[in-house]
Amino acid sequence: MSAGLDNLKHVVVLMMENRSFDHMLGALKKQDPRINGLTGTESNLDTTNEPAKVQPLAQFQSQLDPDPDHHFPAVHKQLFAGAAGPPAAPTMGGFVQSYYDQRKDVNHSRQIMFYFPPEKLPVLTTLARSYAVFNGWFSSIPGPTICNRAFAHYGTSFGQVGMNLFYPKTPFLSIYDRMLKAGKTTKLYYYDSASSTMEIVNLLKNQPKIFATYPQFLEDCRRGELPDYSFVEPNYSDHLGDGGGEELASDQHPDHDVQAGEIFIASIYNAIRQNPDLWKSTALLVAYDEHGGIYDHVPPPACLADGFTATEQDTGVPGQTFAFDRLGVRVPAILISPWIPKATVIPGTEDPVNGRIFEHASIPATVTKQFLGTYNDRSPREKAALTFLDLLSDTMRPDADCPVFNFA
Amino acid sequence: MATPTNVIRIPKPSRSAFNMERPLAKNSLLMNQVKHLLELEKTLPPKQRTGTDPKSITTEGSAAEYIRKMTDILHPRVAKSGGR
Repeated sequence: MSAGLDNLKHVVVLMMENRSFDHMLGALKKQDPRINGLTGTESNLDTTNEPAKVQPLAQFQSQLDPDPDHHFPAVHKQLFAGAAGPPAAPTMGGFVQSYYDQRKDVNHSRQIMFYFPPEKLPVLTTLARSYAVFNGWFSSIPGPTICNRAFAHYGTSFGQVGMNLFYPKTPFLSIYDRMLKAGKTTKLYYYDSASSTMEIVNLLKNQPKIFATYPQFLEDCRRGELPDYSFVEPNYSDHLGDGGGEELASDQHPDHDVQAGEIFIASIYNAIRQNPDLWKSTALLVAYDEHGGIYDHVPPPACLADGFTATEQDTGVPGQTFAFDRLGVRVPAILISPWIPKATVIPGTEDPVNGRIFEHASIPATVTKQFLGTYNDRSPREKAALTFLDLLSDTMRPDADCPVFNFA
Repeated sequence: MATPTNVIRIPKPSRSAFNMERPLAKNSLLMNQVKHLLELEKTLPPKQRTGTDPKSITTEGSAAEYIRKMTDILHPRVAKSGGR
């Protein structure tokens, strides 16, 4: 066991919304060729059969309006572009044509290929370059938010490929229930009551004691009272806070402001970073739930089937059932700890020998392994998922080597 | 802890980024969150229900207000204390 793992007491996961790896981090390939980002030559054909190339023109807001479709049928089109579907490999050629379906505006549809230059995302790109960035972290399902977040909470979506929150008679416990049953501590921190959680029905109704708010997270960090495992949700809406002040959505879901999400990520990081005892004993994972319909160039790989089958009616794609045997589009994921060597890049599908593939089931798999040990009553996908705490090393980096964000 | 060399300054979002009047139809995630809560509200005892007309939830701000009411019903301890 490494010294980093030996010191580990807390795991924190922050899950953001709806941005692909290439959109947020693809430009980093120019800084470090080990990062499987963009060369600048990638393109999709638009509906006039003209190539729409990737361009570093992504805006913080007002560009991805309407919200790009990321339900199963749209993602199917984005992945396969009208070609034969599975078992053929995805071509990643249908993003522009899929976005065209919504506004019927050719020029607008090409914006789905835009990505951020690193200087526009100082928080995410600094964290990626300072700690460990995953080249091969994929959303769990080629579909929308709820079924993907379910993999982070339960290690499965219980056969759901959409936004259905109602999972009757679920055969597997959430990671929170497992932790509580074992006498461990855990919290799911949502921003505030007006933003709430995306796990309303299953967890908020049945396990209210595990929930707390973002101000409580900051306070728990300050007091050194963070639970063993924490899951943090951003603010999902523009609304007025309890004191009447403006609370800007920080989830980065289109068309919410991406800079507000940068500050939110920085605030979670700083809260841990600024408590020395917490900093040396905590691993923070920042991950995005799914790609939000936005372009990524890496074809999602196959994976072990999950033991459920979504029908043609469930998927909404004629002739297409889904056995949960392939992953969704790649998303940004960064593991943060002073025990991680600077500029670590975890290879993915681009490295057939050393590449490691992660998905959201890796989250409960990792937390279970760290805090609960052997635990068999889990989904096939979670049992097969890789864990990530082996990335903690024997050497703790000096304070001056680890960034701090100033957003006051 | 912070030295001049490791502090990264982060710009603030534009003042115009905030828009509570953004149509709810523009955000499928929020739409679904509201939909789930409306379904859940039907299962609550009549005294606990918010009485909100679903047709009145048309903007991000009105969605957030409805979500706040429902969360406070489901999770009154956090509503008062933030989770303690």
